[in-house]
Amino acid sequence: MITKRFSLFELNRLVRETLECEMPNEYWVEAELSECRESRGHCYMELIEKDEKTATPIAKASAKCWASKWMLVRPNFERTTGLHLVAGMKVLLKVYPQFHEAFGFSWIVTDIDPTYTLGDMARKRQEIIRQLKEEGVFDLQKELSLPLFCQRIAVISSETAAGYGDFCNQLSDNPYGFQFQSWFFPAMMQGEGVEQSIIQALNHINAVCEDFDCVVIIRGGGATSDMSGFDTLALAENVANFPLPIITGIGHERDESILDMVSHTRVKTPTAAAALLIDHLKQVLDTINNSQNSIARSVQQKLSTLKAQLSTVSETIPRLFSIVKTRQEARLDTLGQRIPMLIERRLTNACHHLEIIEEKVKSLDPQLLLKRGYSITLHHGKTVRDPRQLHQGDEIETRLEKGTLKSIIK
Amino acid sequence: MSKDIKYEAAYAELQAIVRKMENDELDIDQMSEQLKRAQELIKLCKDKLTKTDEEIKKILANS
Repeated sequence: MITKRFSLFELNRLVRETLECEMPNEYWVEAELSECRESRGHCYMELIEKDEKTATPIAKASAKCWASKWMLVRPNFERTTGLHLVAGMKVLLKVYPQFHEAFGFSWIVTDIDPTYTLGDMARKRQEIIRQLKEEGVFDLQKELSLPLFCQRIAVISSETAAGYGDFCNQLSDNPYGFQFQSWFFPAMMQGEGVEQSIIQALNHINAVCEDFDCVVIIRGGGATSDMSGFDTLALAENVANFPLPIITGIGHERDESILDMVSHTRVKTPTAAAALLIDHLKQVLDTINNSQNSIARSVQQKLSTLKAQLSTVSETIPRLFSIVKTRQEARLDTLGQRIPMLIERRLTNACHHLEIIEEKVKSLDPQLLLKRGYSITLHHGKTVRDPRQLHQGDEIETRLEKGTLKSIIK
Repeated sequence: MSKDIKYEAAYAELQAIVRKMENDELDIDQMSEQLKRAQELIKLCKDKLTKTDEEIKKILANS
């Protein structure tokens, strides 16, 4: 069976005419960007839809936005979302189909709804947050505390931005003369590669984390408000599980990034991050000063209490001693009075003894015998008791009551 | 008489003298000598008490 043969052009034109006839309208389509590039004012995109479970592509198509539309669509999108259109984004596009005989099928984009992308990103952020909480890491950084003397700072920032300089100046110009040491770990702070380069910097720091008290991730002014790089699960997990407290100062006005949420502390700017560290050290200094004062105060209180106790005691001592003194003096007096009494008694006794003896002596006085008529014969002054003691011619003395007589032995 | 004698020792000696006297252990010849010694000891003890009292007051007044 021979049927009509078409040239490719003719057949393609049939497709084009059918399409123009059958699908004359514009449609809103949800899709993910798998590619997006600008060329000579036009924007060329690749759209994709993946199976939700398997993530395998179930639809693909090219799309174009001509320069005349792109110059309106792009500023509107960027103003609303703060983002550039990049691969990986979910977008809601207003399109009409076009089939060109030479260039094939393409969707022509006439508008993009930025709120859809925002909503999708919010959903993704919520999903990441949910996952972090499920893993139990969301609040891990909050459980860390800045060391009392937090002075060795690892700084992750980009080499080009002014943020690091602002940070260092703010730190070194602190009014209290605090000394900080900071080490610079370069990373990309915008565009693609934020996630990987920050994780890499964190890994470098982690290898020598003993040398640091905290990590500061900062981004200077002038950076775009593109925060999408800070909203990734992998980066959040790395930050949440990091052993040192992480302070973020990545400067943006809109919602917090997930990086901010999981970090130990978030501030807006590098300057504010430095101010936070200075303030922290100032509080530590205040605490030390207060402790010093209260120690001094309580020591003084203690001393004055002891002083009062001492003076009470010292007032008591003389009183107590005077009691001791009086008692001792009384004892001394007693002894002192007793001695003369004892001596007198002793002397009286001695006298008495003498008198008795005197009486005895008196009673034995030979004069009494002489009075009674006895006599005593003496020879050479010795009493003669035996006549045989004497010889003829010896002169003897005889003592009588009233005198002495001498005689010669015949 | 030694000035270095302690109060307690002086007092003990004084008591010993009195005890000896009470027990008639002293010779009459020693009596006056012991009385003199006893009075010396009493004076010594009283002086020590007075001196200590003054010293305590002086020390506390200086602190």
